[in-house]
Amino acid sequence: MVFILGVNFPERNLLKKSLETFFGVGGHTSSRLLARFNIHPTCRVGELANKQVLDLTAVLSDMKIENDLRREVLNDIKRLKETGTYRGRRHALGLPVRGQRTRTQIKTPVKLNRMERRL
Amino acid sequence: MASSWCWSCLSRLRAPSTPRAILPPQSITPRLTTASFHSSAVQYANPTKKKGALVAVKYRQGQTLRRKKKKTTERARPPAVGERKALRKRIVLSNPNALEVEGMQDLSSETMIDARLRGSVLGLPVPMLDQLRAVQAFKPKQGWSIFRRPATVLRRDTLEMARLFEKISGEGDAAEKGKVVKKIITGLKGSGKTVHLLQAMAMGFLKKWVVVTVPDARELVSGDTSYSPIEGTNPPQYVQPNAVSALLMRTVEANRQVLSGLKVSQKHTGLPSLKPSSTLEDLAKLGFQDAAVAWPVFQALWTELTATAAAPGMEKDFKARPPMLVTVDGIAHWMKESAYRASDFTPVHAHDLVFVKHFLSLLQNGQASLKNGGMVLYATSTSNNPSIYTLEVALDQLAARQAGTSPSSPEYPSPEAYSGADARVLDLFKPTTGKEPQFELQTLGGLTRDEARGYLEYFARSGLLREEVNETWVGEKWSLSGGGIIGELEKLGRHVRTAAQTTPVLN
Repeated sequence: MVFILGVNFPERNLLKKSLETFFGVGGHTSSRLLARFNIHPTCRVGELANKQVLDLTAVLSDMKIENDLRREVLNDIKRLKETGTYRGRRHALGLPVRGQRTRTQIKTPVKLNRMERRL
Repeated sequence: MASSWCWSCLSRLRAPSTPRAILPPQSITPRLTTASFHSSAVQYANPTKKKGALVAVKYRQGQTLRRKKKKTTERARPPAVGERKALRKRIVLSNPNALEVEGMQDLSSETMIDARLRGSVLGLPVPMLDQLRAVQAFKPKQGWSIFRRPATVLRRDTLEMARLFEKISGEGDAAEKGKVVKKIITGLKGSGKTVHLLQAMAMGFLKKWVVVTVPDARELVSGDTSYSPIEGTNPPQYVQPNAVSALLMRTVEANRQVLSGLKVSQKHTGLPSLKPSSTLEDLAKLGFQDAAVAWPVFQALWTELTATAAAPGMEKDFKARPPMLVTVDGIAHWMKESAYRASDFTPVHAHDLVFVKHFLSLLQNGQASLKNGGMVLYATSTSNNPSIYTLEVALDQLAARQAGTSPSSPEYPSPEAYSGADARVLDLFKPTTGKEPQFELQTLGGLTRDEARGYLEYFARSGLLREEVNETWVGEKWSLSGGGIIGELEKLGRHVRTAAQTTPVLN
């Protein structure tokens, strides 16, 4: 088991996939991270040298990911609501925000958009 | 006729003609004394049901049809790590059901140059199989598993190669000890390029050469092995420690006998743990024990193997180094950008990987690349082959030069404008200024009819083919196989014909 940014990953897992488990790290960011530290794309977590783990953790802790990113997104939505914009209202009403039709297929906004939005 | 519907509540009245027979007998059905919301006569009112007789409808139970869920079957555990790959890469070299071919000769220093044996199938010496396995000369889908023991055809190209081996080893009539022969082997699919390399390796082992192989060029550029930049290089060069370590392991395992007889003769400042009296085997072992030093160890091993004289003060145990055979299969993978990325996310060209660069540089530098002589055989592959336009053009150019076309003539092939040809690849194949060509292009074609006959007879004698192998039959198969393409001949030979398949001729 290897700790990366305080999370324990099994050694058998692919490093790229493991990095993508962080909220805010997708395919684009993870491949760039790997390239930055000269780690090959099919590297497993267990193959990392200690220094590479520390480097990765250092870079990840500087990035806006996980709770920081969640908070930012929520704050953005909150700002929209407080300024009384149309988008803010739609967020609060549980309706789609970006002009989609509401006759059918609005399960996701119904599920997610509410007064106390969670991510 | 009066309607049977009650006008006030739209319920159906019981008609007086209601057959009494379907009602239960009065004695057992107690009657309700008062009509429920209805003006029908008491005697016609519905009998109340006993409480106990009620079908127990469970509270909040769905009324829809329920199907039993399928039981979840216990899934077998996934195979252990590496098991599937091991199965995929498994190489079976023997089939106890196949007949032993009587009178089959083994490949040896004498038989491999014997022109009388041309077209016959020679067995690979059994003690050598371990060495050949170690250098991964056999590939999984080559059909070794249908014969009693592995054997190859002695075809024209093989004989020519064997003569070169003899020449470079300094034997025979026209000995040219220390000569370096460099070839790029191409050919159609199934024309026997990989097996040609295998035969070269077998001959190398027979002649006690040092055999260094890269069985699959793709593995070095597919991004599956670790890489790290070498500090202070510009443009950055990358070393692949694990791949180098694997190469050292292959080389030591296959050439143990030769390497253990040679002592270190140069000073290697980068390897402090190396004792001056150690053998080259010990030197190479340092590399696969610790991948971090694999590249310096490989460089040291290479300087040792190409040394022509010992460093001053270390002459005591110096023995002349044997010639070397270097083979690479699937060279096209090295002519493009690799799957690796530089720190700024730009793709790394295969020529920037030092491992690849080292082997490609052997194609250049004329005779100086292998100072003790030897052979450099790089084959293209047609299975799992990237399509690389520049390489195609470069090989066409090489073929044209070999055919005597001058590079300045209009017939000389050149890459099309705007095709984005890779300058580094063209550079590698560009003509030399010297008289002697850098390397030749050898195109493997089909077997001749005689060779094809010998090959098919081998199938028959192994008990795989139940046909009379005669001139007409062989001629037919030769044509069917696209002019003796050996891979196609193999398919025809192993196709077992049974009696049921022969269709009767109707007049």
